[in-house]
Amino acid sequence: MNTPEFQGTHLWDRLCWAKENLEGYQSDYRVVYEDSIDECAKILVPDPNWMACAMQGGILPPVWVYHELAKDEAQEDFKKHTRGYLLHETQPVDAMTEEEAIEYLIMKDCPQSVWQNWDSGNKPKMVICRKEQLPSTREWRNAWKITEELTVTDLAA
Amino acid sequence: MAGKIIADTLETGAGADISTSYVVNGSAKAWITYKGTSTNAIMDSLNMSGVVDNGTGDYTMSFTNNMSDGEYSLTDSSERLENNNSPSITGFETTASGSYIHNHWNSGFSASDMFRTYSQATGDLA
Repeated sequence: MNTPEFQGTHLWDRLCWAKENLEGYQSDYRVVYEDSIDECAKILVPDPNWMACAMQGGILPPVWVYHELAKDEAQEDFKKHTRGYLLHETQPVDAMTEEEAIEYLIMKDCPQSVWQNWDSGNKPKMVICRKEQLPSTREWRNAWKITEELTVTDLAA
Repeated sequence: MAGKIIADTLETGAGADISTSYVVNGSAKAWITYKGTSTNAIMDSLNMSGVVDNGTGDYTMSFTNNMSDGEYSLTDSSERLENNNSPSITGFETTASGSYIHNHWNSGFSASDMFRTYSQATGDLA
């Protein structure tokens, strides 16, 4: 199915169109990351309807739009978004592969301090894995960490 | 065939008028059904991009279309595992325009994962 020409259409209307016309895609990818040494590892779970939008193309705005809105919200005098039009009027991104969609999602929903410097320490701050690679039970969930045995060099190889 | 209705008011059979803005403002702008046990998964949703599992009973839900600010309204409920009769307590920790944190506890106020969690947001979109 072809995506209608959506530039200028409210993003929420596009999402309603996608909900009506696209089948959700359950990705097996999970993103494990650590943004504080005092907290357990966090796990990003992609939304199936969002994945369908990303892989369809022509629906989602570029990820920099979210970064601009986050900058606005970080201002001390922020009250309401005044640049919401960026979500609706910016040219939507083309269809992505599943892997490209996960990269986009990391840049949207993970802290920038994690994905910008994921490989700058002794061990990686972030790992993309398949859900089967995570523990099948949630025992000791609040103590989960990325293994110390994994090095940045391992991931690059 | 594609169609479009343009109307400022709706009228009931009894002749009562209601502004279409009531419908727009009263509609949920996002909702999600999330499985918080075993390997976590999003079962279905609208206007969500993903969930971050922060730890036991602690999840961050992110919007695709941000809300206009952090002052939107959230409602939620949860479903326990079968044969687990202890009550559950849920709440929201913080709200930003692009995401919110959803927490769950058991009757002893210990953080607890739920078999299913449900939440929805109403308010103004960015």
